Amino acid sequence: MKLIEKKHLVAWGAFLLIMLLMPNFVSNGTLRIFIFANFLAIFAISWDVLSGRTGYISFGHPFLIGIGVYATAIMSKRFGMPVEYSIPLAVLITMLGSVLIFLPALRIKGSYFALVTLAFMELAYQLVQVVRPDLTGGTRGIFGIKTLTRGAENGFYMSMSLMFAVAFSAWLIMRTQLGTALSALGMQEESLEGSGKSTTKLKLAAFMLSAFIAGLGGAFYAHYVGAIAPRTLFDINFLFTIIVAVLLGGSGTIIGPIIGAFFLTFLLEFLRPYLPGAGRYFIYGAIALLLYMYQPKGIYNLLEKLYQRWRGGAA
Amino acid sequence: MTQIIIQGMLLSGLYALIAIGFTLIFSVGRVLNLAYGAYLMIGGYVYFYISQQLGLPKGIGLILAAAVGCLAGLLKYRFIAKPLKGNHVAIEIATLILAIVIQSAIILVFGESTKILHSLVPGIVRLEGVTAPWSNILATGLSWVLIIAVFIFVRQSHTGRAMLAVSQDPKGAAICGINGEWINMVTWGISGLLGGVAGVFFASYTQLSPFMWVGPLIVTVAIVIVGGIGSIIGTLIVAHIIGFLEVIVVSYIAPELRGIFTMLLIILFLIFRPRGLFGREELA
Amino acid sequence: MTIKSWLKPVVSGVAISAISMASLAAEPIKVGFIGSMSSDSGLSGLRAAEIAIDEINNTGGVNGQQVELVTADTREDPTEGIKAYEFLAESAEVDFIVSSSIDDVSLAWMPRFLEYQIPTLDTWASYVGIIDMVKDDPEGMKNYFMNVASDEALATLYINFGADVLKAKMGFESVVILAEDTAFGEAITGLVTEALAPVAGIEVKEVIKYDITTNDFAPLFSKAEQSGADFIYQISTVNAAGLSAQYVKLQVPLAMTGVNVAALGHEYWTDTGGAGAGISTLSPIPAVGLDLDPVSAEFVATYQSRYTSRPVMPHFNGFNVYHGLKQALAAAGEVGGFGDGWSAAMEKQDLKLMKDGELWLRYGWWQHDEIEPVTGRTYPHNIRFDLSEPFDDGAPSMVVVQWHEDGKPYVVYPEKYANGEFVLPSWVPAK
Repeated sequence: MKLIEKKHLVAWGAFLLIMLLMPNFVSNGTLRIFIFANFLAIFAISWDVLSGRTGYISFGHPFLIGIGVYATAIMSKRFGMPVEYSIPLAVLITMLGSVLIFLPALRIKGSYFALVTLAFMELAYQLVQVVRPDLTGGTRGIFGIKTLTRGAENGFYMSMSLMFAVAFSAWLIMRTQLGTALSALGMQEESLEGSGKSTTKLKLAAFMLSAFIAGLGGAFYAHYVGAIAPRTLFDINFLFTIIVAVLLGGSGTIIGPIIGAFFLTFLLEFLRPYLPGAGRYFIYGAIALLLYMYQPKGIYNLLEKLYQRWRGGAA
Repeated sequence: MTQIIIQGMLLSGLYALIAIGFTLIFSVGRVLNLAYGAYLMIGGYVYFYISQQLGLPKGIGLILAAAVGCLAGLLKYRFIAKPLKGNHVAIEIATLILAIVIQSAIILVFGESTKILHSLVPGIVRLEGVTAPWSNILATGLSWVLIIAVFIFVRQSHTGRAMLAVSQDPKGAAICGINGEWINMVTWGISGLLGGVAGVFFASYTQLSPFMWVGPLIVTVAIVIVGGIGSIIGTLIVAHIIGFLEVIVVSYIAPELRGIFTMLLIILFLIFRPRGLFGREELA
Repeated sequence: MTIKSWLKPVVSGVAISAISMASLAAEPIKVGFIGSMSSDSGLSGLRAAEIAIDEINNTGGVNGQQVELVTADTREDPTEGIKAYEFLAESAEVDFIVSSSIDDVSLAWMPRFLEYQIPTLDTWASYVGIIDMVKDDPEGMKNYFMNVASDEALATLYINFGADVLKAKMGFESVVILAEDTAFGEAITGLVTEALAPVAGIEVKEVIKYDITTNDFAPLFSKAEQSGADFIYQISTVNAAGLSAQYVKLQVPLAMTGVNVAALGHEYWTDTGGAGAGISTLSPIPAVGLDLDPVSAEFVATYQSRYTSRPVMPHFNGFNVYHGLKQALAAAGEVGGFGDGWSAAMEKQDLKLMKDGELWLRYGWWQHDEIEPVTGRTYPHNIRFDLSEPFDDGAPSMVVVQWHEDGKPYVVYPEKYANGEFVLPSWVPAK
């Protein structure tokens, strides 16, 4: 089997084309929803690269994203650094920061690893408010961050290109030996060790890739929204959205997290006119829980099955 | 000094009280029930509704809080833990989603605003210039009684020993004819009940709000991690370490750093001594 | 960016056709409301907007155009606030936005405001930093107005309460400040510590900052007692009710006053089950417990006949929405819409509400070059407040409200507005 088949590239091309033409078909309001969906998709891919494949469940992904967000926001807002420098630097800093959660991964796994990452997120939340509030803006966060785009269409193209680039590159990487090895790491770490491969290096690669994507997404996100606050960034609700996007879409795939992110974001916006207020989040959470319980492999898997059945029926 | 001891004891008692139910689930089911904080919240709101909105006696409020907590535990077992049996991470994620659903349900019913509960027992005692509300003294006493009761139950009773067996070796226990499913269900039920009761005490000392589940959950996780899985006595001791640490940090070091110390404690223990101080279990 | 330059003509083309269409068709004026739909203050604002719009529509609308309300929930979450603002601007395409957002939510959607330039009125957020933005960028912020007194003005008048009541009447000489570790806490703490000693002659013994997730305040109260101060100044927004309830439950033998956001609403008594007695807080105008002028009282009567669920009384921002929205629509009526002339017309709006022949409340604006005499600075587009007796230029920026043992809130300061005495809780020994 060829790893990269023509039909895959056709599918990616079609996806890109549809997305590029989107602004011609939908309103600006819908484009704005797409923008948030695109960013969520990037974060979800970042989570999936690490947790969906290797089995190291990160409950602290907002910690990584937050590093990228804060790094670029502080450098560009407080020190007047141009975004051409602050964004790449922020990505680098995020990758360095990921070492903090990589080290524990050498010793612990499973629920313990999940907890340690959760603790890192909470620690970051507390530290950001206490340490150097003149830089971090304390509890109020940082506002008036330079925005890269104006208008819904430009924001859409920016976020969509970024999401597509991340998704396509991640897809390519997962097609290489590295990708296969990462999945193997998730399935049976011990036997992989037996085969003489360095699991430490593999793990490091997964952490770095995940942090790279998280930092990149986070930095662009900061320069899209223009204002950040610690309580929405290092937040259990944010974590919930990222994880649920992956799991609803289908973990261990690239398209799954994208589907999940789009589904969640649009579900919430779709409910807005009908259920203003708290009812919206209740229904949204309940749908997420039911889908997770009864369709644990995700929407992608469901679609695939339906497709197979359809083809089977047609043939 | 007297102040540190009294305040430390009271806070630690409260923390031990909220941690027992979580320890039980973690010891027997090996599962981190991230919706545990929501039991506390449910207990608190049930009590508030019964005793403060309907004006019924406080005792009834407390009993119903325990009952609803127990029911929540059983439902959680039946609809989440059982179907996802064995997949710990899946249960953790599902309970996290559930906690968020419960949070929005509470906002829907009671609104976002913070509520204050009347103390279960009114009045205060003054001891060498330190004030202690009777309600907190009661909570501390209750936490000791409950912990010892749970300890004796697990060691002495038939069901308790079966719990222990299931926790150490589920397959072996099944061979010996222990109904693991039944034991798990009982454990989830008791955990919910303890959570509901603890919630009333916790909320009546602090406050009731739809977002209150995260804070106690973190304290609880810290206690269980540092104490070590499967160690009920460890829970009691570490609740005191964390409670005293908090009082000392607030009194002598810097009140705004309170949460940071707890967090660092969790991280250091998870990394360097993941089995905790009193744990006896190999790593999963 | 090639895509961007390629798009430019398309985007501006769309914009132009949208504008010309709006002016041609006799469509209703769309007003957007942004705020939390599950908090008492959010609901106060929303209901006030509904009432104001119905009243305007029943009297013929604005130049014959009917007004329509579109709502967007923020959950008091900054990111949701951005989405809500975008929804109002781009999906609902509203002409005007009235906001009951809390401070950090307003700060979050501020970049969107700058982008869309939709006329926007804030009625709850009081961060003086936003007024500073109007000062620094009058052109970019010309469509932004805030009709609650900015926090700096609130804190300034509070110092006078310290001098006139706490020091002169109660004999308090020193204070310990108990402030939450937030940006708001820090800003107020700074203002209060700097001014209390020189202006009010009250010595600040100690400033204790606490973590907002604190469960147990007992060690903090012990620390406050040990400082030897005569009273506690609390600054709490996040877990204000928890702090004050523990103060009551522990019967801390020191008087406590300050900023307690939980005590700003009428439900405080039922929410705390009566454990709020003795708590006092500064409150923006019109606070709970404030005697009302006939116009505002009429509004409350309508409100209460229409809504029976909580909040039973609109919070201060409800009044601000009611009066402010009417002013915004009146300004639009004068200049034919929310276009270029609106900001100048809005600046001229000035509603003086009289009670018993005296100026009671005033919904007017500080102009760009007007210097407020007490603080010596300008507050463009902020509501016109007054910081000194006899309050004949505007309402005071704040009043001090105290919840008494009878379960009612009373205004205890300033004198002109007071309908109750500042008293100590029963367990606190008098000085």
